[in-house]
Amino acid sequence: MMQTDVIPAMDPNPLPAAYWVFKLLLIVTFELHIVAMNLMLGGGVLALAAKWRARNGGSGDRVSMDIAKMLPVFLPATVTLGIAPLLFVQVLYGQFFYSSSIIMAWPWFLVLVFLTIAYYGFYYVSYRSGRQGGKTGGVLLLSVALVVVIGFLFSNNLTLSQTPWRWPGKYFANPAGWNLNLTEATLVPRFLHFFIAAVAVGGLLLVFLALANWRRDKEYARQLLQFGGKAFMYATMAQFVAGILFLVSLPREIRMLYMGDSPLATTLLLVGVTGGIGAIFLMSDALRKENIRAAAYFVPGILAVVIVCMSIMRDVLRDAYLKASFHPGQFAVKTQWTVLPLFLALFVGGVILWLVMLKRYGLFGSKGASPGNPG
Amino acid sequence: MNYPIWDVTFGAGLLIALVAVCHVFVSHFAVGGGLFLVLTERRARRTNDAALLGWLKAHTKFFVLVTVVFGAISGVGIWFTIALISPTATSNLIHAYVWGWAIEWVFFFVEITAALLYLYGWDKLEARLHEWYGWIYFIAAFASMVIINGIITFMLTSGGWVKNHEFWTGFFNPTFYPSLAFRFAIALALAGVYALITASTQKEEALKARLVRWSARWIVPSLAVLPALGWWYVRKIPAEAWADARGPVPTATYFATMAVVLLAVTFALGLLTLVRPGRMPLAFSLLVALTAFGAMGSFEFVREAIRKPYVIANYLYANSMYSAKIPGDGGFSVDEVGASGILRAAKWTSRHDVAKGDEAAAGREIFRLECGSCHTANAYRGVRSYLAMRQWDRNKIQAMLGGLEMMHNGVMPPFAGTDEERAALAAYLSTIEPVSAEAAAAASDGETIYEQNCSMCHPRSASDPLFKNLPGDPTKAVNALKDLTSLFPLMPDLKFSEPQRTALVRRINEMRDAMRSGNGAQGGKGT
Repeated sequence: MMQTDVIPAMDPNPLPAAYWVFKLLLIVTFELHIVAMNLMLGGGVLALAAKWRARNGGSGDRVSMDIAKMLPVFLPATVTLGIAPLLFVQVLYGQFFYSSSIIMAWPWFLVLVFLTIAYYGFYYVSYRSGRQGGKTGGVLLLSVALVVVIGFLFSNNLTLSQTPWRWPGKYFANPAGWNLNLTEATLVPRFLHFFIAAVAVGGLLLVFLALANWRRDKEYARQLLQFGGKAFMYATMAQFVAGILFLVSLPREIRMLYMGDSPLATTLLLVGVTGGIGAIFLMSDALRKENIRAAAYFVPGILAVVIVCMSIMRDVLRDAYLKASFHPGQFAVKTQWTVLPLFLALFVGGVILWLVMLKRYGLFGSKGASPGNPG
Repeated sequence: MNYPIWDVTFGAGLLIALVAVCHVFVSHFAVGGGLFLVLTERRARRTNDAALLGWLKAHTKFFVLVTVVFGAISGVGIWFTIALISPTATSNLIHAYVWGWAIEWVFFFVEITAALLYLYGWDKLEARLHEWYGWIYFIAAFASMVIINGIITFMLTSGGWVKNHEFWTGFFNPTFYPSLAFRFAIALALAGVYALITASTQKEEALKARLVRWSARWIVPSLAVLPALGWWYVRKIPAEAWADARGPVPTATYFATMAVVLLAVTFALGLLTLVRPGRMPLAFSLLVALTAFGAMGSFEFVREAIRKPYVIANYLYANSMYSAKIPGDGGFSVDEVGASGILRAAKWTSRHDVAKGDEAAAGREIFRLECGSCHTANAYRGVRSYLAMRQWDRNKIQAMLGGLEMMHNGVMPPFAGTDEERAALAAYLSTIEPVSAEAAAAASDGETIYEQNCSMCHPRSASDPLFKNLPGDPTKAVNALKDLTSLFPLMPDLKFSEPQRTALVRRINEMRDAMRSGNGAQGGKGT
């Protein structure tokens, strides 16, 4: 069966704004989502690592507790920021995304179950870890493991959504939705690429915590800086291995886009790689000199540029995979002028209100309070 | 058929229902509970009631754990689930209402942030600022409900949208306001219902009594106005759709009754809490919650059931076929699929024709493609029990499939496919509940003949064409029933023996006499 036979027809409604509007919103909101996800997953992994160090005689219990308190905030941030790219990906790529989701329907549905358990687990750990003798390691491990599984399922679905030629074989073998995309060569490298990035950003979270504690408790802040900074460095180094594996696993004609065939993709990759190397050196220097400002401002600044590059590269990758069946020109467009300005106004208003809420709470103040202190 | 179909053994519809009912029971609490938090905080601070404030702080934690965690995830859960089961409808709703969803997302984001800061701010913020977060939470949660309400009611009463496809025409559809008012009243009542749960765990009797009375003040008046709001809501629903819940569609009728009964029970229990408020046990508060859950779930079931055969009224059928040909429908309107054949039109099938001698297997595939979104063979909305009740053999099924859209007040879409495919579907259905030709033709008394062959399209109503137009003279009537298709082209070509026709006419005339002596009348979508 030809792949085009099974790709569903789009529905009759035109796009309610220009294609690029959705593309921009998709990429921007995805970046916000991925940062929140990295803080949650990377934070969770490092909280576990710190706990493990503490059990083996090292320090780390306090680090673990401080991160664990923030996880019940990072998880809803991830979900909430994930809704927007999930919406916009369905606007542009619905026929691909729905199909792959249905093919792996049960694992995809289980994401919700895992997410709920992980979420309650994070709350449990956050509430219990403040108390003496709270046994939270097992629950934290379970929650982090479930989040890792969810990430793996996302990698499965997104790789499957851009390889329509695999669909019929999987679907007709199991129309009850018990499928994954395990035979996809890019699956594991891609998942590792995202997972390792999360650990690196989790390291930066500790650097931020170090910054918040820098004046109040220097000793603890140093410990946070060293632990977080090293986690960032080692993860980013490992990222080069995962990244190369990912690149090598891509089909040749797509791989070549990043190696000269597409000036945009190649530039983005170069900037990303240079940024990664630069961030490692900068962090290494900051750790040696205990320069908290460099670690907490410059490294994340570089990383922000890298994340933007990576997100656009990810989008280029999808469109390269779907080249045969997806063209921006296939959309009819009829802008909903009576609604779009309302959205934009509410969006801007919402962001301002959100910032005001955080400011009035004292999150930007010198107090440096974190919302991780439930009543 | 445009999309792959997820085979859910126990019924795809049941899975959506489970996720949706659990979600709405929490999401309405998320709205009403928000107002409850700020007004209770205001009250506690005004009266310097430290005990009330202490309880409210703990209740906030409960509120966040229920709404921000379960409510938020299950809300995404509905979206996940409908996309897996009704991707065509989801795709339409996304494209037509993406800016609505995006606006809702902004409110949701503000809402979640405000909820968390309200929770974490109990010990940190001064009173007015803390209440400020509470108000922002409530306003954002309410605004979020306004958006979702617009889109959900659009699905039930699409109004002029089908003609102009304008965002606001569909959004402010005929049931928008009554549904919003109805849901907001439910939300306020649920704020009290959930508050009873945490109130009932209090040890100190005086505090508990105050809390229970305060909770009842949210439950009782809100439920008291629901019947009036419900009446307004029902009046805005097209009469032929609402008629489903008045008998012809068993699911709709059953749940409409359940909704009313459980609402009354919840109301009565709400009043009962006031008898000895200081001693109300946890079990009692959970019972109130359970009946409220039942009432709420029943209401949602009614809404879903009377919307059938559509998933988006007058636009898209529940089985993902467009009710009329429109540009860009991909060839998936009922007429186009009927002309080309469903096996040929479907993208996601391994069979593209009906092989001779293998009709039942092709029929099974047609059932999956065309009926599976609502029916299973044996489980949720299983067709076996229906077929057993009617005692239809293969030929009769095939005849009856020609008038699906006439059955039960038009609750089903028409069959879309070639005659050959209809025969194949009948072949498959007859394997689910095998009935011999003799058994199918065995009925001899008029009531059984009517029940098995006529009642699904012709309810016992004076306004129904059967009761209105069949000649009163028995001989003429018996003759008229010889050739059903000559009476009306969509009638099934069933042949009855003369004694059967005589018995049927006698029974119809008896029923007419009963109707004249005062039984009510019913309308129908398909008549």
